[in-house]
Amino acid sequence: MEGQAILLLCILVPLLGAFLLPLLGRISVGLRNITALILVLLPFVLSVAATPAAMGDSPIQLHFDLPLGLSFGFYADGLAVFMELVASLVAAIIVFYSFGYMEEYDNQNEYYMMVVLFIGAMMGLIYSTNLIFIYTFWELTAICCWRLIAFYRTPEVMPRASKAFLITGGGALVMLIGFVAIYIQTGTFDLLALQGRGLDNWIMILILFGILSKSATLPFHCWLPDAGVAPSPVTALLHAAVLVKIGVYVYARLFVVNFQLEPVWTTNLPAVCAVSALISAGAALRTNDLKRIIAYSTISQLAYILLGLSSGSMIGVAGGLLYILMHSLAKGGLFLCAGIIEHSTHTKDIRNLSGLYKRLPITTISFALCAFSVMGLPPFGGFFSKYMVISGAVETGNLWIAACFVIGAIMTVIYLLRLFIKLFFGELSHPDIREGTWEMVSSVAILGLLSLLFGIAIKVPADFVTTIVEALGRW
Amino acid sequence: MLQPIASLLTMGSGMNLLYLLIVVPLLLSLLCLILPRTQETLKGLLFLLSIFFNLVLSLGLFVAQDTTVLIPWAGFGMNLAIRVYAFSRFAILAAGCAFFLVGLYSLCFIKGKSYQGGFICFYLLLMSFANGVFLANNLVMLLFFWEAIMLVVFGMLLLIKRPKPRTAVKAIILNAIADFLLLLGIAITYSLSGSLMMDVISGLPVEGAGVVGFLCMMLGAVGKAGAVPFHSWIPDAADDAPLPFMAILPGVLEKLLGIYLLFRVCVDFYALQPGSVMSQLVMWIGALTLFFGIAMALIQNDIKRMLAFSAVGQVGYMVLGIGTALPVGIVGAVFHMLNHAMYKSSLFLAAGAVEKATGTTDLRKIGGLGRRMPITGCSFLLAGFAFVGFPGFNAFFSKDLIFDAALQTNVIFYIIALLGVFGTAASFLKVMHAAFFGPLRLPQGIQREEVREVPLCMLLPMFILAAGCLLFGLFNRLPLGVIQPLLGERLAGVEYAGWPHSMLLVLISIVCLLLAVGNHILAYRYTGSALKSVDHFRYIPGVRQLYDAAEKHYLDPYNLFLSLVKIYALVCSCFDRMINWIYDVLLVKMVSFLATNFHDFSDGSTNRYLVWTFSGLGFLAVLFLLLI
Repeated sequence: MEGQAILLLCILVPLLGAFLLPLLGRISVGLRNITALILVLLPFVLSVAATPAAMGDSPIQLHFDLPLGLSFGFYADGLAVFMELVASLVAAIIVFYSFGYMEEYDNQNEYYMMVVLFIGAMMGLIYSTNLIFIYTFWELTAICCWRLIAFYRTPEVMPRASKAFLITGGGALVMLIGFVAIYIQTGTFDLLALQGRGLDNWIMILILFGILSKSATLPFHCWLPDAGVAPSPVTALLHAAVLVKIGVYVYARLFVVNFQLEPVWTTNLPAVCAVSALISAGAALRTNDLKRIIAYSTISQLAYILLGLSSGSMIGVAGGLLYILMHSLAKGGLFLCAGIIEHSTHTKDIRNLSGLYKRLPITTISFALCAFSVMGLPPFGGFFSKYMVISGAVETGNLWIAACFVIGAIMTVIYLLRLFIKLFFGELSHPDIREGTWEMVSSVAILGLLSLLFGIAIKVPADFVTTIVEALGRW
Repeated sequence: MLQPIASLLTMGSGMNLLYLLIVVPLLLSLLCLILPRTQETLKGLLFLLSIFFNLVLSLGLFVAQDTTVLIPWAGFGMNLAIRVYAFSRFAILAAGCAFFLVGLYSLCFIKGKSYQGGFICFYLLLMSFANGVFLANNLVMLLFFWEAIMLVVFGMLLLIKRPKPRTAVKAIILNAIADFLLLLGIAITYSLSGSLMMDVISGLPVEGAGVVGFLCMMLGAVGKAGAVPFHSWIPDAADDAPLPFMAILPGVLEKLLGIYLLFRVCVDFYALQPGSVMSQLVMWIGALTLFFGIAMALIQNDIKRMLAFSAVGQVGYMVLGIGTALPVGIVGAVFHMLNHAMYKSSLFLAAGAVEKATGTTDLRKIGGLGRRMPITGCSFLLAGFAFVGFPGFNAFFSKDLIFDAALQTNVIFYIIALLGVFGTAASFLKVMHAAFFGPLRLPQGIQREEVREVPLCMLLPMFILAAGCLLFGLFNRLPLGVIQPLLGERLAGVEYAGWPHSMLLVLISIVCLLLAVGNHILAYRYTGSALKSVDHFRYIPGVRQLYDAAEKHYLDPYNLFLSLVKIYALVCSCFDRMINWIYDVLLVKMVSFLATNFHDFSDGSTNRYLVWTFSGLGFLAVLFLLLI
């Protein structure tokens, strides 16, 4: 019973607590901020408590039957807890960063409410065992995302927020048709009851529409670079750390853990990923908007995650999961660094930015640490995940696809290096700027250092992931 | 005396003292990073301690018995596995000596420079990573340290502040290409052999996926060694990096690392057959590198740049030697790797002494330093004898072994190698003559009296290295006694030490050297300037245009690659915009088109609604009739 309480608290605390925040905000700004942080940190702490059970033989679960074959249930296995830990850890750092970044803007009450609500919806999605609930939470995140992207309420941001909402929402609707099709075939939405079943290819395609649009994979990717108009912590939260991981998480939940796929998908989907990785890497090189570059990079890196998960080999899946962790940390860090730069120079055009190292030394170093991790260089965490994902593709026999991803990796080095050099070297473009507030600077430093730490102490996350993958019992 | 250290090092089977070789420099490097700028003396002391400690450990390791230890790491066969055996002992000792000598030298060289702290930090990191590569018995562990070296290179190239860090970017991109190829190669090798342990993988056939695996790993190895087409950052680094960096990395370490891995790939992991297509390919890479590097070295007017290009050229010999897949070539290549490390680092250090004394290494500004800096001059000359392959010096013997192997495979490789001998000798004579002989020439603003011999701590390392070249030549049994066992059974009991077997090859090499000397004397008489002694080659019609293009970096593979990347990025971004257009314009237009049209159908007119109703009823009636 205790375990079930933990599970419910994980979901309900941020989900319901979010609505408290606007009220608290009227009393005291500090109180609201601290409460927001606690609401996000609490699931993290609770998940740590749930970890031993999740990694063991008897994961915590909750289940209620409803009429019409519907049911209501949460289930905390290793995969869910892993995703939860990653999402809430990065989200907590981002909320902390917001204390400094959002200080000067209106509507902060709404901001914190939406962010915490978003995290709550994410938690619900992660633990749900029911397809309809997954869909519901999925759309709830989309609504939060829509409000958050359009946070500035200026005329140019509204259509972009709507674009993001329409593309991801449209994808989700197609996915819902897929879910209904599953229900028609099997009479249930309950994933635990569907464990180990086969799946028709056409249903798979319908569901993929949702996943690919949420995870911004070609050809449904173009909302992501456009959404860079949001405040930087939002971009970090949505586009690097948490939102885009929903798609890949649901992929892992449905197609790695639950359903048996036909072998053809271990080649088809990686091929789509390869195209996505290569095209977006190329586009990143032609862009001059700081946040757009990082957003294209996200698209490109998400393809690596999906490649790993869809490769169908043990090392590939483990690599894909590790990639979720490493990419969340590093890419979150990059977006937050971009936020500091944007915050102090009021421009995102890298043609007008240079020599910032002299004024923003800590940001520069954190940026470098995160960028190296995204590039996949040792001793950073990104190295291992990248190696494992590519090794997974080779294992499945997709040599050409692996080669494409190696090209993508080289492109990643090139465009991130270009960005790094343009931003921080050369003549100082903004002599009168200062480093961000201490909350902002320490957040990026923590993310940079975590990227490094998880590379050196790779044993900790790798053991975690290995246990998860071995528990699947597929290989 | 070393035995106690050796037995201490190899004690235990899990957490082992061997890891100290990696961990201690790493920690000291971090300590130097944390220490404030004011503590430069303490940093220097720590640095000295660290390189000395490393030397002692590597000496101890050299007499240690074979050991394998393992610490679990990232799962999926990725362990921190260490193996002490013939090659790792040899490589770590060679690197350890170089680290010690060059380190000692750098301590004097960088004193008072702005980048002192950073240099120490990166140098120690480099030491740690290099030891990691040589000790690794697991491919992923090897790759981990191998790629990490790229970051050190990046950092070192940023030490001297430039407005645009072009060289650093170039270095990291070229290295990244090679390293990611290696990554792919390792993944393929793993899937072929089912293991990442380097002592388990052996003799994989070079066919099917094996071809790709071999190619990728081979390219990764030669890329690190600085062979064509991964070479072009090295000459640029000569201008942009602190000089001791050139001595330790392009001079010593890259060759040790690259040739070490190339050896493992061609000899251990894959069964490369002599005369096979892949063997020919490796040899062609070697031959091209050799030819290109030396041809470019020939026309340089700066000591550092000449040495950097020739460092590229000499790799060609090693790659060529291993590419033959014949025992004689492989032994020659590994021996040449050692020799090159010795003489090239000595030459670089001497160039550094010149730079320290006069502020430049540009031979158009300086010359005739022999009288002011006699010991540097002597050391340069001594190392230069080895460099050109003068009989009796170490590189003479190693090149002879490689020639033997090249001739056995195809005479064309032998001819290219001979051209290399001529070019090397000609470029060395030119630089030596211009820098140390003739009347004294100094840059403006520097007085004759200011130019002095450098301090002992700089002289000693370069002299020891130069003298070592002679020692290892006269007593080549010493190094070859260590190198030959690396091949194990493949050697078939042949002995390569002592004077070369074929007198004919020796004579031909000597003729090449004499031709170079003759060319130099004649050209000097004719032009009156040592620097112009090879200009008659440079201005041959046809060759001249090639040289001009090369000088303007048109032939730089890096630039070609970047142009390709730019075109590719353009195509991608057009494609991306097209998709964007579908969402932003096409879909919006379609929706508004539909909306407008449907709007017209429901405009409130009663007549129109009646038409709608009746046609609907009619449709239903037809449907009903059809159904019954």
